[in-house]
Amino acid sequence: MLKILDFFDYAKSESPWMVHFCSGCCSLEMAAAMGPRYDWERYGYIPTPTPRQADVLIITGLVSKKILPALLRTFAQMPEPSYVLAIGACAYDGGPYNDSVAVIKNATEILPADAFVAGCPPKPEAIITGLEMIKEKIRKGEPSAASQGGLWKQMKF
Amino acid sequence: MEKLKELIGTFDVAYVENYKKVWIKAKLNKASDLLGVAQALKDEGLKSLVTVSPTDFPEENKFEMNYFFEDLLTRRNAWIKVDIPRELDRCEIDSLTPMFPGANWHEREAYSVFGVKFTGHPELEYFLISQDYYGKFPFRKGFDWKAHEANLIENMNTIFESFENEHVENEKRIGHAGSRTMLNWGPTHPASGPIRLKVEVDGEDIISVKPDIGYVWRALEHLVEEKDFIGALVALERICFMDNTNSMLCYAQAVEEIAGKEITPFAAMMRVVLGEIGRIVSHLMGMGGFFNNMGLMTLFMWALDVREYFLDVLEDYSGARIATASIEPGGVRYPLDVNLLDTLEKAIQKYEDTRTEFYTIFLKNPTMKMRAAKTGIITAEEVESFALCGIVARASGVKTDIRLDEPYAAYDKIDMDYMTAENGSAMNRFEVLFKEMDQSMSILKQAIADLRRGIESGEYDPQKDHMVKIPKKLPAGEAISRVEWSRGELMIHLVTQDTIPPEDQSAKRQPYHDGRAPA
Amino acid sequence: MELLFNIYVFPGTLFVLVWTVFVFWFFRKFMAYLHKRIGPHYNGPAGSLQTLYDLSKLLSKESITPHNVNPYLFSAIPILAPTIAILTVVLIPWTPELTIVDTSYGVLALVVLIGIEPFLLFLTGFGSNNKYSFLGGIRILTQMISMETSFFLSALSPALLFGTMNLIEITEANTWLTTLILLPGAILFFISILGVLEQPPFNIPDAEQEIVYGFYTEYSGTNYFLLKLAEFGEFLVVFAATITLFFGGYRGLFFDSFLCLFVKMLIMAMLMLAIRASTPRIRLNQMLAFAWSYLVPLSFLNMVWIVIARLYIVGGG
Repeated sequence: MLKILDFFDYAKSESPWMVHFCSGCCSLEMAAAMGPRYDWERYGYIPTPTPRQADVLIITGLVSKKILPALLRTFAQMPEPSYVLAIGACAYDGGPYNDSVAVIKNATEILPADAFVAGCPPKPEAIITGLEMIKEKIRKGEPSAASQGGLWKQMKF
Repeated sequence: MEKLKELIGTFDVAYVENYKKVWIKAKLNKASDLLGVAQALKDEGLKSLVTVSPTDFPEENKFEMNYFFEDLLTRRNAWIKVDIPRELDRCEIDSLTPMFPGANWHEREAYSVFGVKFTGHPELEYFLISQDYYGKFPFRKGFDWKAHEANLIENMNTIFESFENEHVENEKRIGHAGSRTMLNWGPTHPASGPIRLKVEVDGEDIISVKPDIGYVWRALEHLVEEKDFIGALVALERICFMDNTNSMLCYAQAVEEIAGKEITPFAAMMRVVLGEIGRIVSHLMGMGGFFNNMGLMTLFMWALDVREYFLDVLEDYSGARIATASIEPGGVRYPLDVNLLDTLEKAIQKYEDTRTEFYTIFLKNPTMKMRAAKTGIITAEEVESFALCGIVARASGVKTDIRLDEPYAAYDKIDMDYMTAENGSAMNRFEVLFKEMDQSMSILKQAIADLRRGIESGEYDPQKDHMVKIPKKLPAGEAISRVEWSRGELMIHLVTQDTIPPEDQSAKRQPYHDGRAPA
Repeated sequence: MELLFNIYVFPGTLFVLVWTVFVFWFFRKFMAYLHKRIGPHYNGPAGSLQTLYDLSKLLSKESITPHNVNPYLFSAIPILAPTIAILTVVLIPWTPELTIVDTSYGVLALVVLIGIEPFLLFLTGFGSNNKYSFLGGIRILTQMISMETSFFLSALSPALLFGTMNLIEITEANTWLTTLILLPGAILFFISILGVLEQPPFNIPDAEQEIVYGFYTEYSGTNYFLLKLAEFGEFLVVFAATITLFFGGYRGLFFDSFLCLFVKMLIMAMLMLAIRASTPRIRLNQMLAFAWSYLVPLSFLNMVWIVIARLYIVGGG
């Protein structure tokens, strides 16, 4: 019995599907990671059109104030267990837009991420590495950071 | 040109002067003259109002309004300035939207961020900015945004509520009887990107589409004010990552104009090379996206494959694939390693190997023609009245291309022509994209030949010529700069003042509409 | 014992599951090849375990039932859909010896069981309480009505030619000559099944770029797995039906076996994928115009041709 359950846990870690969500410029490099040279499908990642079938939400860099409700709703629509990967400097602290008036500087305080990828934008290899980190986390059975806390729980989106 | 000057001279003006080759710059004394001037210009043939851009001068207690008129056919431009008072209740000016429909969004934006009221505007609503800034006019100097940021959760809740209210209102307006409903296309839609189209449908028929933008609004103009002119580059190149070189190029030109510096011919040619690579990279994504929206991923993937080779060139040159920061005021940032030209030739070869496949499978695709040949038709008159530019304008047969109209960098040394198509449908825009790719390849080849020749003959020194020093402190001044961007025309209006470098720049970006109608 | 084997192993549950895992992988790998990519690679030899993991993961994820839907309708359809789809395997002659239900109404039963499937998918869209799902559901219904006319008509052409509705007899009667005669019918049938299976260029009901994911939009976890199972089960029976009706089923050049059927089915899958990789989706109104002004009249013409062929070429009388 234990063996079978282990298999399902392993399966969960080996097939993270991404919800197709582009909030900022880093989604360009996400597209490149999908493309022929980097091809993240080799590792089993595929984008899904609807959040209902997704396991991982990628915050692709910049999160403007206007898109935050969409981001949170998308995350809330994903089935458990769902994980968050934050890529790019903007997702961490606003990056180049740290002193802009219209950008959420603490996107990951609002929606805590399970892994960060640095860069502006990060290279496709780095994005894939970030996803591997998420895989590792799923394999260990750790709960996602967003389910543990974050400002998003106080917001009425 | 002289006729235009005379025409404007008949009004009450502070000055009328020639500016660059294709511009007339004038300042009106009275704001009430604006409508008259605009009408006269329209009658003269300047049918496009390109952008409306206010500049804030708190010390002199005024807003300076800038209007840019353009005649796409004869390539004459007029830049009209007029002062209006700065107090919130008194900063009013006549709206030009009834006369020039293209002014609509620009005026709404100016209203949203500066609070300038346009009397006579048909739908002067807030626009672009996020809902928590409604009525606060964040771009006015002196707006305390730190205090505004302090209560983030409250601000966010304002935004959430406004979306919720909008939804409730729609439900009330449309009701549940019948087959009409409201669909949101974006911003989290598989094909949308950061735009939201509010699509009202009746079953399968689209009744109306209302775009809502601002989902990647970063208040770049404000950001540039905060930084010096090199720091601003970081923000500027991120206007759009697809083609970042040309936006840097545009900004660098504006700074150079204010500083009064000329760049070397070598740097100019390098700018052509980098600019064209940016264009190619963006066009490849554009071609892929066009088919992607019709449910076919193949071209997107193949285009990404070719794109990587061009990104290799950028990476070899600057160390970064996308955020290259390679064009700076004063020239280009890095010296040239001649081997880079080989990498570039390899990339061109890669495109040419794939070109036939692109051509036969996708450009000649019967299903694509069935779907797109009669979709999203934009006529030449509409191009003029909405001041469209770039590929959209050229696909409707309007010959406009800043590279030829007002040559910058080293485009005057390049042999090229307007790439146009006939009918202005979505398919024609795809066609023009394709033609421009070929054109860019030919430009690149010419530029490579020129660089090789120049380096061999000793005319260019690739190790030293790339930069001219620009003083850290810019004099007070004002400049506009235009480039042909991959997605249209990019125009930057840069104002510098004597104090530290508070700059105010207003960028105009005319988006590249694809006109792919779903359903 | 044999019955148990038939139900649980071949051509029953296990076979369909293995087929789903295999064909899901095959689709992705072949599609990746057409995209100049590699496709699943690291999990198992040539990534062949990838889809097994994907489907197992779906089984262990949360299945969300949205607010305000009828939970019975919402959850019943994902059980019904694969059942109906898989039920059809009993009619197909898989090997010369193995046909579970050998009936003289084989063609009719086949056509009806395949034809009922889009209706179940319509119910998924209808029961999801989501605008996009509902639009997707309506689109399925529209497409089903327009496509199934020509689907039925062309499916009947072998029955008409051979004068029997028994699938084994149809398979056995097949020769090179009859394949040639049936070719127009086969092409029409193939186009119609692209419509019935919602494959490009007729993937209008789950058009990602227009209505998110159509009727699939609200389904997650196990429910989504079951719908995927239904989709791939549907592929299985439709491919097998095409081969049985038009291309001689299990019969091969040198020997008759399940392998021949399987290879022929893979060739069909590759054809379908090649179309998917080179043809953009068409609009609903264009699909309607195409179905009613070309496909249906042509299917009638095809019937006339079959009758003529039966009278003068095959000479059955």
